[in-house]
Amino acid sequence: MNSWRTAWRIARRELDWHFRGLRLLLVCLFIGVAALAAIGSLTDAIGRELAARGQLILGGDVEFATSGRAATDAEMEAMTRIGRVSTTARLQASAVDGDVIVPIQLKAVDATYPLYGALTLANGSRVGAPPPDRAWIAPALAERLGAARTIRLGNATFRIGGVIAEEPDRLGEGFALGPVVLVSNAGLARTGLIQPGSLFESKYRIATRGDPQVAVDRFQRTFATAGWEAKTRDNAAPGATRFITRMGEFLTLVGLAALVIAGIGIGNGVASYLAARRASIAMLKVLGATAPLILRIYLLQVGLVAVVGALAGLLVGVVAVPAIVALAGEALPVRPSFAIEWRALALAAAFGWLTAIGFAIAPLAAAAQIPAAALLRGVTDQRATSWRRTAPWIVATIAAVVALALTASSRPWLSAGFLAAVAMTLLLLGGLGIGIREVAARLPRSRHPLVRLAVAGLHRPGARTAALVVALGIGLTLFVLLAAIRTSIDANITRSIPARAPALFALDVPRDRLDEFKRTIVGVAPGAEVSAVPLMRGTITGYANTRVADLAELPEGAWALRGERGLTYSATLPAGSTLTAGEWWSANHAGPPLVSVDERLARVLDLKLGDRLSYTLLGVERSATIASFRRIDWETLGFNFVLVFSPNAIADAPHNLSATVELPAGRDSVVVRALNARFPSVSVIEVRGVLAQVREVVTAMAAAIAAAASVTILAGITVLIGANAAAREARTYDSVLLRLLGATRRQVLVVQALDTLFLASVVAIVALLLGVSGAWFVVTQIFDFVWAPGWAVVALTLLGGIVVTLAVGLLANWPVLSARPAQALRQL
Amino acid sequence: MYEPDGDMVIDARNVTLTLGEGEGATSILKGIDLLVPRGTSVALLGASGSGKSSLMAVLSGLERATGGDVRVAGADFGAMDEDDLAIARRGRIGIVLQAFHLLPTMTALENVAVPMELAGISDAFGRARTELAAVGLAHRVDHYPAQLSGGEQQRVAIARALGPRPLLVFADEPTGNLDAATGAKVMDLLFARRAEAQATLVVITHDAALAARCDRIVELSDGHIVADRRA
Repeated sequence: MNSWRTAWRIARRELDWHFRGLRLLLVCLFIGVAALAAIGSLTDAIGRELAARGQLILGGDVEFATSGRAATDAEMEAMTRIGRVSTTARLQASAVDGDVIVPIQLKAVDATYPLYGALTLANGSRVGAPPPDRAWIAPALAERLGAARTIRLGNATFRIGGVIAEEPDRLGEGFALGPVVLVSNAGLARTGLIQPGSLFESKYRIATRGDPQVAVDRFQRTFATAGWEAKTRDNAAPGATRFITRMGEFLTLVGLAALVIAGIGIGNGVASYLAARRASIAMLKVLGATAPLILRIYLLQVGLVAVVGALAGLLVGVVAVPAIVALAGEALPVRPSFAIEWRALALAAAFGWLTAIGFAIAPLAAAAQIPAAALLRGVTDQRATSWRRTAPWIVATIAAVVALALTASSRPWLSAGFLAAVAMTLLLLGGLGIGIREVAARLPRSRHPLVRLAVAGLHRPGARTAALVVALGIGLTLFVLLAAIRTSIDANITRSIPARAPALFALDVPRDRLDEFKRTIVGVAPGAEVSAVPLMRGTITGYANTRVADLAELPEGAWALRGERGLTYSATLPAGSTLTAGEWWSANHAGPPLVSVDERLARVLDLKLGDRLSYTLLGVERSATIASFRRIDWETLGFNFVLVFSPNAIADAPHNLSATVELPAGRDSVVVRALNARFPSVSVIEVRGVLAQVREVVTAMAAAIAAAASVTILAGITVLIGANAAAREARTYDSVLLRLLGATRRQVLVVQALDTLFLASVVAIVALLLGVSGAWFVVTQIFDFVWAPGWAVVALTLLGGIVVTLAVGLLANWPVLSARPAQALRQL
Repeated sequence: MYEPDGDMVIDARNVTLTLGEGEGATSILKGIDLLVPRGTSVALLGASGSGKSSLMAVLSGLERATGGDVRVAGADFGAMDEDDLAIARRGRIGIVLQAFHLLPTMTALENVAVPMELAGISDAFGRARTELAAVGLAHRVDHYPAQLSGGEQQRVAIARALGPRPLLVFADEPTGNLDAATGAKVMDLLFARRAEAQATLVVITHDAALAARCDRIVELSDGHIVADRRA
């Protein structure tokens, strides 16, 4: 006899096709798989879109970029040999229309721009570089300027020739302060903004039929020390790709947490289902079914429902991408077209099924061991499951889930840590549940029958205290975690940063006019404080015995090695820095060039005092000896530099100053106007605007995280409902008997409320500790923010959580209370 | 005292059963000797708690004896685990319980077919249909247990027990949940079907009239056989 075939025939017949009894499994798996499928599909779709549109995003097949200078003749010749070159320059500037001064990103392009895609204006026309006296402006600037027909950029006035509808290489340009204004290279020359020492970025995009990477490698070999940053169409927007990948991974972990939580619901759901099937299982045993056959029958039933639940979840994953694209709109870096993301769906399905098996195997194995004699005994005849049989399966599925999660992650240690934290939380809560049961069993008997019954409910045979504690603990922990994260982030945005931030940033202040600059400010804003530092752009090319170009992958946290950095020099230790090792050079140091390095970067790169550090400045490679390490207070929002050089190291290169300006309240606009009138080439940025932009980004990230976390809360509540349903059998028995013996419904309700309230109170304390610890980790280690939770909100959320769980518990038992005792008795 | 002879279908010697452990252990059966020849019918009588149902559980392989030897239909139950006992029951032992215990999500036909399917009997559904017709339920084959009366449910249980043509049928208070008239009809049916199948029958009952219909009456008290006589 084919045992699987027989099992399937019996399973099919025995299964309620409305999935009554297995709906908790269905819903839990649906939620977990849907969350993972949606997150994975969106991440993959965006990644695919970024990769597919690389040429467009980059504006070429290859891009070479550098700061503060144009390509030399030799460099230009080498680029021309690769293919057709389009030259662009980008710098921070101000657009002026009378009293209205708007910080903008000025972009100058040549006649070949754009090499790929189309630059279109709002009136639908396809254009290239504007004539020298005109500018194309971004819609946000058009909105600010209203009816203005002209703008002044530096020393020149431009006619507004049109509003940009689509700038094909927008995403590849990266983060920008202010809307873009596009002029021709000739137009840029008219502004007078490019002077020796000015901060600007030169980009050379090249269209080539050859292999872009080969071209990049050859160019970089030839001009190894010139400080060129190269990109190819295959990695056109590394920042966006990195952000999407990391955000996707983080959200996947949150989704995985939701799935693990849902797994508890799956375990509880399957256990309840099989408990209700106890008589049937025993009867099947009476009729000759063996334990393996019973296991197969119910494995098939559970598997079938798991397939249905997971498929429904996958369907959500498929439709989620177009739905999120429609809802999120401009918040996404690209708008991916509809496609089924098979990798993401397969991963979600694998996680879902593995979790389902992992959590269902123990109750299934226990069910298979139900003896035929169970027909003759009550529900409390529980035989211990053989852990030797089930443990290997459970361990194997957990290992598979962990392996899958780590394989799919680019930061396995972070993922492993996250999964370990989730596992520890579950174990801790499980242990707490067992502890409560043991303590309840040892408590002295109360003289009040209702209290006695409530306590007995926690430890009697068949009591689901551990499952309830885990479900309750997860729900309350999540409530606390989210409340603490949310209030901390809010506090960081609204309180900490603005209080310590300067009012203005000014770029490209001529060194020889610093006094005049200060006088101009103080003239209109007495009491203003100006701090100015030299600012140049350069690239770290090597440290100790390592060449950055030779690194296959940057070490974790070594962001300073990526692209160009701000460089400065100082005779004295800068404000906001504390020396942690080494010594600061003397004010008139004239020996070998020295550099002071951020201690965090030093730790990541394992730098030692005395190591050599090489860097490129204006196309020339230089080197300096590491003289000290500094701790930097990044929260001051002033100019903070990873590298500070001794003046003799870099002061000879042409450069300007950058300044932070602290002002008395309400003087921002007056100062901006005064500076612009006297220093048209100086870019002045109001910090308020920058903060608003940062706030937007952080709020959007927080919203994405909250959305993903709400799935875990949903899973938690489902688990709680399930755990209550599972405990209902025993409570039904109590309730019916109590009512037979003369108890009122209110008295029965009190017993159950006491039960739940006691559990919730104990669990709340643990949840507070777990939730706050988790939130602290997320806020300080992942977001790198200050830990500043709103304790009142956290406490209220916890209280709200207890009320919700109490309500869920009592509502779940309402059908028992509302049934007539005789009717309920028949169902016992 | 009844002296059995012939081919024994039940051969139980010095059977003991203790449930629970340590201080909570309860001795249920205290040294039972019982031989039942093939084709006979035996009534187990006794007060509540005397050990009748537990003896039936041990003899039908639902419970493993704590001590003693139990051989049923040639199989040594003492040497078997739960699954071996389940396999030993297939096709050889039919059981009818007081509370019917039909599988609630299966139709009458499916309920009767299941043990035959498990025993690997071909045409399980054809035979199940015949069995149901034999107990007067040809018109109820597609009904679920909840759609049947108590008497009908017990008739389905009888059909299920006798469908595989077992050597041995156990019936634990088969009329306990039925009114007198329905109970009498069900018992007529049980005896008639058992005779047709030439099966050995062991009935647990409080009903002296029902016991009198058997070949032999065994009385239990406090885990001991206190009387064993022809009916």
